[in-house]
Amino acid sequence: MGMRLLLVVTGLALVGVPTTDPRRDFLTRAELSPRDSALHALNRLAYGPRPGEVDRVAALGVMHWIDQQLAPSRLPDRVLAGRERGFAILSHDADALSQVFTNARRERRRESKDGMAPAADAIGQLLQVVGQVQQLAVVRAVLSERQLQEVLTDFWFNHFNVYFAKGAARVLMPVYIEHTIRPHALGRFENLLLATAQSPAMMFYLDNWESVATGARAGARGPNENYARELLELHTLGVDGGYTQRDVMEVARVFTGWSIARPAQSGRFQFNEWAHDAEEKVVRGVRFPAGRGQDEGIRLLKLLANDPATMRHVSRRLCARLVSDQPPDGCVNAAVAAWRRSGGDITAVVRAIVRSPDFWSAQAVRGKIKTPLEFVVSAVRAVGGEPDTTVELAEVVGSLGQPLYLEPSPEGYPESQEEWVNSGALLHRMNAAAALAAGRLPGVTVSLDGVLAAGKEPDTLIHAVDTRLLGGILTPESRAVLRGQLDAVRNPVAARALAVGLALGGPEFQRQ
Amino acid sequence: MPISRRVFVKSSGLALVSLGMDPLFLERAAYLPYHPLPSSTDPVLICLFMRGAVDGLNMIVPHGDPVYYRERPTIAIPARDVIDLDGFFGLHPRLASLKPLWDEKVLAAVHAVGSPDATRSHFDGQDYMESGTPGVKATSDGWLNRYCQHDAEHANTPFRAVAFGPQLPRVLAGTAPSLAIDDLQAFGLRLPRAAARDRLTRAFEALYAGAETGLLATSGQESFEAIRLLRRANPLQYRPANGAAYPSRRLGRSLLQIAQLIKADLGLRVACLDAIGWDTHTNEGASDGQLAGLLDELAAALMAFTVDMGERMRDIVVLTMSEFGRAVRENGSGGTDHGHATAMLAIGGPVAGGRVLGRWPSLDLASRFEARDLAVTTDFRALFGEILARHLGATDLAAVFPGFDARPANFPGIVRT
Repeated sequence: MGMRLLLVVTGLALVGVPTTDPRRDFLTRAELSPRDSALHALNRLAYGPRPGEVDRVAALGVMHWIDQQLAPSRLPDRVLAGRERGFAILSHDADALSQVFTNARRERRRESKDGMAPAADAIGQLLQVVGQVQQLAVVRAVLSERQLQEVLTDFWFNHFNVYFAKGAARVLMPVYIEHTIRPHALGRFENLLLATAQSPAMMFYLDNWESVATGARAGARGPNENYARELLELHTLGVDGGYTQRDVMEVARVFTGWSIARPAQSGRFQFNEWAHDAEEKVVRGVRFPAGRGQDEGIRLLKLLANDPATMRHVSRRLCARLVSDQPPDGCVNAAVAAWRRSGGDITAVVRAIVRSPDFWSAQAVRGKIKTPLEFVVSAVRAVGGEPDTTVELAEVVGSLGQPLYLEPSPEGYPESQEEWVNSGALLHRMNAAAALAAGRLPGVTVSLDGVLAAGKEPDTLIHAVDTRLLGGILTPESRAVLRGQLDAVRNPVAARALAVGLALGGPEFQRQ
Repeated sequence: MPISRRVFVKSSGLALVSLGMDPLFLERAAYLPYHPLPSSTDPVLICLFMRGAVDGLNMIVPHGDPVYYRERPTIAIPARDVIDLDGFFGLHPRLASLKPLWDEKVLAAVHAVGSPDATRSHFDGQDYMESGTPGVKATSDGWLNRYCQHDAEHANTPFRAVAFGPQLPRVLAGTAPSLAIDDLQAFGLRLPRAAARDRLTRAFEALYAGAETGLLATSGQESFEAIRLLRRANPLQYRPANGAAYPSRRLGRSLLQIAQLIKADLGLRVACLDAIGWDTHTNEGASDGQLAGLLDELAAALMAFTVDMGERMRDIVVLTMSEFGRAVRENGSGGTDHGHATAMLAIGGPVAGGRVLGRWPSLDLASRFEARDLAVTTDFRALFGEILARHLGATDLAAVFPGFDARPANFPGIVRT
């Protein structure tokens, strides 16, 4: 009760009001120092701190920083905007991309027919699409000032996962990320759901494009249930959300005819009246009268988006990402309440999660293990690294076990530490950390001189690495191990690289 | 000269060591006194995934079925080239080197095997065959990992389940520890100089043995344990035995490394590897051509492995699999489009070989799946399940293949009992 009151008070005090008094921020988090709070927020709502950033956020006031992140359009992001100009993929529209696909397919056919070498350009372009999209994700995660938007774009992509390597998905993906997911990352869930349902990428990935009414055309297979099933189980209600196999079949009938135009004719979303099952359907007891065409699908999506089971299921997944692999009820309830109040405004839901005591609890802080993407990006940010526009850094993320946009299952990448931590994977992380610190990691330029002078005494060096780059997380045991290693290294540049490599590859930095 | 010796001579162009040796895995009863005892006789399963959907009908050829020749005017294997097996089925000529294994009854094929799901998407087909739950996309782990989860007895080595490749395949994804090894030589911390590498290894080991607890600590310790075990056992010291000659590309290299791990006795129980390129939509070829080239490499790699392992093959099963087969009728580009059932091969001492297993559904139009493809008469889970149960000793198949009735009555009979 008292806690809730305090929250309301701090919430009110902070909306839109720059707060420089750190004590005000910490009414709800008595045990966390301002720096600890800043580090926690930077770990969960961003991809980790850049050098010195923990101090900057602590000085600004962590709640104020969070409010800034919740309104990304007001945050200038010039450095990233400049870097994005190096990605040709962003200037291709859907038509240009489907042309890339058509060209590549024609070349492949020609090759196998005539035994001639294909025009390297056509297929090369197609592969470049994949690489560019992956690298762009890494560059944005490293460099963007709008960190929460990047985190949530990644979260929503994963929630509405599409597998990049399934045929035409390769060229449908850029539009899916840029226009379907990204604009809605902090918008209304209903709009996000509607956008994914009408995206060629999702319709292709979950086979809905070939889902037609039984008997609509000779030789056609009838309704395909894949999209219907994942829509209920993963995107909205959740597996225990209260629906039956019969409902899945009815939902599949609702979405018959939701398809894609041929790649040569734009490859955009298209509703095919001829393929649609025009009869009446009943989904979870709700009647969908005959003859409503595409509108009944829209109506169903809106119902699903605002169903209490959806609120709980999606809130729980958000909390698993932001708070804890097994999120406590408190933050989930807070998110659901905010969802209900705001009509599914994602900004309001995330704000409620971040203001819930569970977000700042001792169990939550440093209680999650970084995914490979989070590990690589946070390590690059920690040393102030500059990713280039090649695909190499994205390939490092892939080699650590999380090839971007290449998770085949519609469930997306898991949010549980058991899936990410195993012996082979940890060795890969140690290798990547040592290579990054030595400036040998492909795809990124690191200049430690800019963030950490060489030539310090071992204890000073370790202290500087810990506080300036890592946010002060090294245990006394780890500092002692580093101390022992540094004694044997005379070359100051090598000593600095060793200290940074061990710190980034060690256990503390795997946590967030 | 016993036929088995001729196998080795013919197939591997081989060295003389093996000339005086009987390949004892063929005789489960005894081994020759001068041959060293195998250090371990734990059963091993090697899963070779032929990605891209292999044309089962041109691999294990139903040459006794006239429909086969009618539907494939340019790509059928001419009867004179087929290596006959039982009067009805025969091997593609480029698998000829495997024929002696058939004669010794350590090679079997299962035909018309596949998934009950109708998908013709590579992605979905592979996904289902690896998750072991056809039609259910939300399964997050793979059937081999689920097997490992229920095999507590062999959990004490980091090398129990190993995939050879840059990433863990879906079939091994899950909570049971499993390793992806791209290259045995590069496993561990990578620094050019040995002294620096050792120092860094010790430093990281000390860090992970520090204040950290839980999963990070145990996985960290496992990592260094694996490095130590590898160093001590030094699998790279094992050169191919009996004159085995592995093909030089990825498939051969992976099988060679699996052989090295087995010889190093590190507790390997399941291994996975891929063979790619089977998506023969165009210019598939018949006795020669694209598919022939791939089968050539496959046979050479399998034979090299079999020769290399020698009598250890008594406890090893190599199983091939592929997401689906290809259409019965050839297409307009001299190839075959995505189909339904395919054929799978099993090699090893435990295999009830010399037989093509599974009920043959016939190629008549009326018997085909969707009037087009070879129908599935053996669910792949029945085949995989039998091998898990009768070869690896799995006791809880319901947990490995949820929703599938894995009763022995449904097994195709691939394992000698």
